[in-house]
Amino acid sequence: MAQTAELSNPWTLLEQKLKTFNRLMTTKAPIGQTPKELIWTLNKARLYRYIPVVPAEERYPIPLILIFALMNRPTILDLRPGHSFVEYMVSKGYDVYLLDWGAPGPEDKKLKFDDYALDYMPRAIRKMKAVSGAKEFSMLGWCIGAILTTIYASLRSDDGLRNLLLLTAPLDFSNKQELTFARWTDEKYFDIDRVLATFGNMPGEMIDYGAKALKPIENYITNYCKLWDSLDDPRVVEAWHSMNTWVTDIFPMAGGAYRQLIVDLYRNNRLIKGELKIRGEVVDLKRLRANLLTVIAEGDHITPSCQSEAILPKVGSTDTELYRVPGGHIGIMAGSGAQKQTWPHIESWLRARSL
Amino acid sequence: MSSEPAKAFVPIQVYALCARKTGSDMAAEKNAKAVDPFEAFRKMRDTYLEGMSKVMIDAVNTEEYAQATGALLNNYLTLSAPFREALDKAMIMSLEQFSLPSRQQVAALAERFTNLEMRLDDLDAKLDRIVALSSGARTATAGVSNDGKRARPEDGKSGKPAGRKQ
Repeated sequence: MAQTAELSNPWTLLEQKLKTFNRLMTTKAPIGQTPKELIWTLNKARLYRYIPVVPAEERYPIPLILIFALMNRPTILDLRPGHSFVEYMVSKGYDVYLLDWGAPGPEDKKLKFDDYALDYMPRAIRKMKAVSGAKEFSMLGWCIGAILTTIYASLRSDDGLRNLLLLTAPLDFSNKQELTFARWTDEKYFDIDRVLATFGNMPGEMIDYGAKALKPIENYITNYCKLWDSLDDPRVVEAWHSMNTWVTDIFPMAGGAYRQLIVDLYRNNRLIKGELKIRGEVVDLKRLRANLLTVIAEGDHITPSCQSEAILPKVGSTDTELYRVPGGHIGIMAGSGAQKQTWPHIESWLRARSL
Repeated sequence: MSSEPAKAFVPIQVYALCARKTGSDMAAEKNAKAVDPFEAFRKMRDTYLEGMSKVMIDAVNTEEYAQATGALLNNYLTLSAPFREALDKAMIMSLEQFSLPSRQQVAALAERFTNLEMRLDDLDAKLDRIVALSSGARTATAGVSNDGKRARPEDGKSGKPAGRKQ
């Protein structure tokens, strides 16, 4: 009774809300908790294998490797127990591997897509094949990870890649009107050489500001107002806390790779035009022959759908699918609807092609 | 005689309980809604933020915004350059005085470490291939010696390295 009376006191309620708000702003939620083992390292990159929970005879023989963007932690794929894509796929019987690029230091400022796609990825994949004993594999690339996987799949088409999944893949940069980033990084306004000469790598804070400034009111005000309104709902609070922990864990992007992203892709659209050269070799999308699923977020303001649609007619794959999901750039895989829509679709697509 | 009233009583009791519960819940909800003085404010706030959001999204998507942010960044880089250069020079001199390596020297060392790691990875790959080939050859030899029948080769799996649990 006393407790109920206390809770009905508006000042007590306000105090509780402030305490919760303070906790959310000043602490980090435990994320990326699915049990895993480290099986390979190179420089800052780490390859993890998630501990299977399904007996070996019931598991799919084709392992799945996850490749995330270069400027955020891949823990978004394993956000929290009960709401983790990795946990979901492991429970469905997939042998799941995660390539974590790590945070580049000043010594990594020269790292380019060339290095990631032709030095790091083939080595990590070799290790994955050695550990799993499989000759073929599936690969999922998300955001800039999708650029890297596309480059890899085109240049190393005979490396055993059976299935390629691209999530919110920024591959086509021709529609400049739709791309706010393209406008901001236009050579008229943005001196990339000067920025990289000053910082070496592209600072995480600048990348973070760029992403948030696309929707400034949502990211800087509405987000916190909605949280304040829901502070008495533990489910919303914990979901927000884990997402905020991931969002605020930012690090720089290697200077060389950032320059390629801006100059070769945003400004000159070289990948789709078939002009992108990686270590002197042209990335020919026709050589990409793996089964291809492209997932597009309909409400994506970072990678508008026009950026992901153009790849399908350009690749050499015969089995292709374009799947549209309502939601934002991150929400389609980590939002509340992901578990009901995106994950089951990815799983069913992969299931039919992993036997 | 005794079962009839019970038959009549049960549904009435259930209805009464439900009605009481539903009624009290509705009343509580009504009260909660009535005493929330911030509901109108929240609605007004949300409407305002929604409108502002659209305005701001349009604003950041203009050439003027791109030009302004570009100019801001350029000015920052220009203004901070002399300080950064002076700081860098002072830092290099201080580190030399203390016989400590500079940032560039540490970065160069890290690059060499990465190259070494790559060499080790190449060796690891070669070893894996050698192990796979030799175990394949051994199996084949053993298979042939068993009554001239060839045994099934192993599945090519290499030994799983001891992983570190995270």
